[in-house]
Amino acid sequence: MVTSRYNSLTGQLARLGFTNIERAEKLLSGSAYDGLRESPEILDVFSQSADPDQGLLSFERVLASAADAGIRDELVADLLEDDDFRLQLALVLGASEALAEHLVRHPDHYRTLVDHDLMDRPPSAEELKDEFIASVNCSAIDGAPWLDGATALRVAYRRRLLALAARDLSGHSSFSEVTHELAHLADAVLAACLELARCQLPEGSAPCRLAIISMGKCGGQELNYISDVDVIFVAEPAELPDGQLADETEALKTATLLARGVMRAANDTTPEGSIWEVDAALRPEGKSGALVRTLDSHVGYYERWAQTWEYQALLKARFSAGDDELGREYIESIQPLVWSAADRPNFVNDVQEMRRKVEANIPANKSERELKLGKGGLRDVEFSVQMLQLVHGRSDVMLRSPNTMSALESMATWGYVGRDDAATLAQAYRFLRMMEHRLQLYRLQRTHVVPDDEAALRRLGRSMGYRNETELVEQWQRHRVAVRRLHEKLFYRPLLNAVARLDSGDARLSLEAASERLTALGYLDPDGALRHIEALSSGISRRAAIQRTLLPVLLGWFADAPNPDVGLLGFRRVSEELGGTPWYLRLLRDESETAERLAHLLSASRLATDLLLRAPEVVGLLSDVKELEPKSLEDLLREMSATAMRYDEPDRAVQAIRTVRSRELFRVAAADANGLLGVPGVCQALSDISDATISVALQIAVASVEATLGSSLPTRFSVIAMGRLGGQDVGYSSDADAIFVHDPLPGADEATATKAATAVANELRRLLSLPCADPELVIDADLRPEGRSGALVRSIASYAAYYARWSSPWEAQALLRARPLAGDESLSAEFMELIDPLRWPVDGISDPDVREVRRLKARMESERLPKGADPSLHVKLGRGGLSDVEWVAQLLQMRHAGEPGFEALRVTGTLNALEAATDLGLMTAEDRDALEAAWCLATRMRNAVYSVTGRPSDQVPADFAVLTSVAFLFGYPPEKRAQLTQDYLRVTRKARSVVERVFYEWE
Amino acid sequence: MATWAAGHITRCAGWVRHGKMSSMDKQTEFVLRTIEERDIRFVRLWFTDVLGMLKSVAVAPAELEGAFSEGIGFDGSAIQGFARVSEADMLAKPDPATFQPLPWRGDTQAVARMFCDITLPDGSPSYADPRWVLKRTLARAADMGFTFYTHPEIEFFLFKDRELERPLLPGQPPVPVDDVGYFDHAPQGGGQDFRRTAITMLEKLGISVEFSHHEGAPGQQEIDLRYADALTTADNIMTFRLVVKEVALEQGLQASFMPKPFTDFAGSGMHTHLSLFEGERNAFYEPGADMQLSKVARSFMAGLLRHAPEITAVTNQWVNSYKRLVAGDEAPSFICWGHNNRSALVRVPMYKPHKGNSTRIEYRALDSACNPYLALALLLAAGLKGIEDGLDLPPGTEDDVWALSSAERRAMGLEPLPTSLNRAIQAMERSELVADTLGEHVFDFFLRNKRAEWDEYARQVTEFERMKYLPVL
Repeated sequence: MVTSRYNSLTGQLARLGFTNIERAEKLLSGSAYDGLRESPEILDVFSQSADPDQGLLSFERVLASAADAGIRDELVADLLEDDDFRLQLALVLGASEALAEHLVRHPDHYRTLVDHDLMDRPPSAEELKDEFIASVNCSAIDGAPWLDGATALRVAYRRRLLALAARDLSGHSSFSEVTHELAHLADAVLAACLELARCQLPEGSAPCRLAIISMGKCGGQELNYISDVDVIFVAEPAELPDGQLADETEALKTATLLARGVMRAANDTTPEGSIWEVDAALRPEGKSGALVRTLDSHVGYYERWAQTWEYQALLKARFSAGDDELGREYIESIQPLVWSAADRPNFVNDVQEMRRKVEANIPANKSERELKLGKGGLRDVEFSVQMLQLVHGRSDVMLRSPNTMSALESMATWGYVGRDDAATLAQAYRFLRMMEHRLQLYRLQRTHVVPDDEAALRRLGRSMGYRNETELVEQWQRHRVAVRRLHEKLFYRPLLNAVARLDSGDARLSLEAASERLTALGYLDPDGALRHIEALSSGISRRAAIQRTLLPVLLGWFADAPNPDVGLLGFRRVSEELGGTPWYLRLLRDESETAERLAHLLSASRLATDLLLRAPEVVGLLSDVKELEPKSLEDLLREMSATAMRYDEPDRAVQAIRTVRSRELFRVAAADANGLLGVPGVCQALSDISDATISVALQIAVASVEATLGSSLPTRFSVIAMGRLGGQDVGYSSDADAIFVHDPLPGADEATATKAATAVANELRRLLSLPCADPELVIDADLRPEGRSGALVRSIASYAAYYARWSSPWEAQALLRARPLAGDESLSAEFMELIDPLRWPVDGISDPDVREVRRLKARMESERLPKGADPSLHVKLGRGGLSDVEWVAQLLQMRHAGEPGFEALRVTGTLNALEAATDLGLMTAEDRDALEAAWCLATRMRNAVYSVTGRPSDQVPADFAVLTSVAFLFGYPPEKRAQLTQDYLRVTRKARSVVERVFYEWE
Repeated sequence: MATWAAGHITRCAGWVRHGKMSSMDKQTEFVLRTIEERDIRFVRLWFTDVLGMLKSVAVAPAELEGAFSEGIGFDGSAIQGFARVSEADMLAKPDPATFQPLPWRGDTQAVARMFCDITLPDGSPSYADPRWVLKRTLARAADMGFTFYTHPEIEFFLFKDRELERPLLPGQPPVPVDDVGYFDHAPQGGGQDFRRTAITMLEKLGISVEFSHHEGAPGQQEIDLRYADALTTADNIMTFRLVVKEVALEQGLQASFMPKPFTDFAGSGMHTHLSLFEGERNAFYEPGADMQLSKVARSFMAGLLRHAPEITAVTNQWVNSYKRLVAGDEAPSFICWGHNNRSALVRVPMYKPHKGNSTRIEYRALDSACNPYLALALLLAAGLKGIEDGLDLPPGTEDDVWALSSAERRAMGLEPLPTSLNRAIQAMERSELVADTLGEHVFDFFLRNKRAEWDEYARQVTEFERMKYLPVL
């Protein structure tokens, strides 16, 4: 086979990974490449570099620059002879434009890479320090040494960085070696900067001792290629020539000059650029505090005023440069303070707040590609490890390393974190950090965002040893998943080991440590929590094994709620009820959304928890959002009738339908707590449940009475819904308002018929309030004519006679929400016909009646409010509350619904009536919105208070703990929970002004 | 009238710059040191209720460190306007920047004071705290790049001891300490001595006094404080009212900030000069513009004028306040502005060349019995609203509005300020601006309290009625 040489080069380049082959060919045929063309091994090494095209381009420039410097022949000879060098040069040139640029400017620095003394081992800290101090050459200068010294330091630093990058890229240095060496480089730079600053001091400056303490990543010796170096300066007066100590104020002046000099020396831009920024913002009082303090002043500050985050920062403090004795004293005096931080009163709150800040959302367009910020980002790993160190480091000195990876390792060794979890996390952390390093190396720029263009991803992947970007992205995803479950692994899983009776031989968390940790996570009764965890997870059953994987996740979810203990207790109770059922734990384990919904429900809603405990198997409903959709009235009726059919005995039959009701209430409460149902949806669903329950129970009651009578009922019987039930505005704590009507069958004796009808009504009420496991449904018949003193059941004729004689505006008003609920449909229809002209008079109610309604309302506002209640916070009778809004709708109905053309107003629901009134031009859309918002908020408030406390209340909660739980249920973020009352007051105030205008027509 | 200090600005309110950071530490250290050095035995923690009354909790120095980090718990339900049961357990957190030894308690075994912020048990600020209302509004201004500076001219009356009894007896008219007038030098001590002692004491408390003189009515005094950021000013006014009363008591006199104690003499106002700064630059100043007033200043004034009726219930919060407002004299009853016009609600003082930073406007309705935190917050909010809405300034009025006939005034479109507390309440009830600025809690409490005050007042049968009607009806 014959191919032209030209073609084979093209093919070769393509195989080597070049993409811009035309340009590569041009470069290879240029004069810069003379003498190398015949040696294919020169080209081969580029195939291993991150970006062969870029590498080759830089290579050409380095060759040209070496030629200018007269060292090209030496370079070419080294390239041909030294395999390691050849490869490392190609790796550096392909991975870092910035270092290539440095080589072009200083071609002789290639010799560093040939020098085995430099390449075979990382330099020692001492070596680097001596070299950098020598580079600034302070003794030799007179005149203006600053710029020369600073420039020389940058050149020396980059030369060492070049060697480090070559070792890093070729795999000769591990991650930990690289980050340590970067910290050593930083220490040496600081020492040299200090030297440079010192020779700038004005003559006669008071002598001082100055130590530079590094913090953050530099302190932890886990530095990046490019990042701010955080420092704190501490100084003391030094001895004057006469043996006296210098004046403290003067010495601090000198020290401040030195500190400023250090910061400038590292950061100033010179012809060789700058190194990195020295940031002293972590010092006491931050940027407004003195740049330099004495040791006593530091200690005094941290003893008295420091905040939790400052102790956390101090955990990383390490002596870096300057006076080593003073540096040591600083560390020795500060460390004890760090380890007592967890004893401080606000520690728990502070930590929660700090955690929220770390996890705080980052812009969505960035979050997917961000390595450092957000949940599961690098900072989250570091923060979580530090938090555990602060919690446990107090009692265990083994956990006090400032280095994230070593701290994690010791925590694993001593049982604070699971061994495997620690290993997986460490691996992921190293991977993500390596990505960050390679990203930064390219241009020596501080960046934490993974690029999304293909070429850059490809370069990044190849620099880490992956063949292409797909492999990189796969690995990245894998590690990201590992880190995302970070808190579960670090914080919660070890808690289980603390109480596990299994003897695996592994170290495990002590009970004291577990208790400390739970406290730090916001649990108020850590010992109780541990007992629950133990009860749930101990043993060798399959159940316990599944709980051990579930609990760590759930414990984290509970910790996000205002009262984690409640959630955990609820979970224990549900699990104990259901633990034996095979599907329960499987459901939670396999469908993590189910588990999350359950956790939320248990921590947010006592109502839902109670309903769940009555019939734990309903937890299955949580597995699917669709399951949480309320059932239709028809479905409810069908199911309840079918259920009732299965029992002959009325009590048993009604108990069975009440169990169905319980389950449906849970469905609604669960959907509500998870934000799946709006307020109107909740009202409608609850009303349907009551309708169905009463309808089916009525059939049972009738059958029961007929059995007693021994014959069929001598009368037609109907239940008419009134009040909130009539309006389908039902809340969790609402009773069912209803009245009963009957009509004796032709020929039946009136008295007998009434007696039988009354028996039915009584039986119905008895059955629905029978004590049993499921909540009762109280039928409230107080809205009947003459109220409690009137007959419970009346015949339709009696109603007709009563209304003909006694019709008063308020009775007509009560009838506005009447609707047929159950029983004989034709009788119900007759009843409606009877009352329609009363509630919807054709010409509207008279002016005196309008006045009477208004007066009644006004009197109610002042008289019905319970003593001592705050009128603006009473959801029912308060300013802008439920009754305010409802009366607006009702007055409009009484005035207009009877008129031809206004039929749309003939509805029973408050929101429907407001809607219709707006469509008919009786109210502006703006006013309707204000009323609707207040009505929905007040209804929701009432429901939420009942959900949280299990007790009905018409008051916006006064108790701060209840208020925060209600706000949690509403979905308020933690820092905004105190705002709920303000929001309630604002919305209802606006509604009240509409009420005064539209209902009272004041102005 | 005081001179407006131009140029150098001292920044006091550290919280504006640093938020939650521990920026007060030096100050806190200073507080603890001073307590040791001056042998201070008690520290009074001060805060203000919704009506502007000073409240005080005394703590021993040993408890102070705890107070700084966690606050001192107290039962808020006993304090006017704090009574919401959920907030019954409130915490008072002292602001170390406001630490001052109190001079009138003697120098040995001394007592000091600090103003407090009120927080809920979880550390979030209480919505009932007037200081927080002002802080919130200042933070809004800061978001727009502004700092708010104010300079109050505080008027009050001094009454004489009546036959060595307590100076004020129910049912008897008070007797002014002297019988001289505006700028008069009273020969026989009294007010003169009083002012000297009071000013010395204010200066000891770190409150700079710009100017002081005898005002127009018998026994009436005016002391002007140096300008400062609004939070400091409000704190200073609270301290000022206490100092003035303390000094009066020491001298056997009684001081009162009641807006209008005499039917026939002018009442006590608190004309307040306002300006916004953007960094070091006066945002009201624009060289070459008409009256050197920038667009910001014009819109700010327009906002003040537009919202004046709704904020009056707060700037003039007592039944008695309106006796001053409707009486004429120097009190501004009509919503207008003028250049050096003393009958206007907003006055633009004479411009002094080369003093750009002294450009400011004067709001003349305030009286010295207001709650300064709430009143300053509302003035600022009204002005900011004007800026946000880009309002144009209506033409100024150079006539003496009081000299015009009512038909003339109507023709010129001059609206009156509310003429009674009742009308002011009605205007405030409809105001979203006031509700937003005060927060729902304070807004609601304030209105309820003021409606009750009005109702109680309306029931009174007064001396005026008896004098006028008994003889003839």
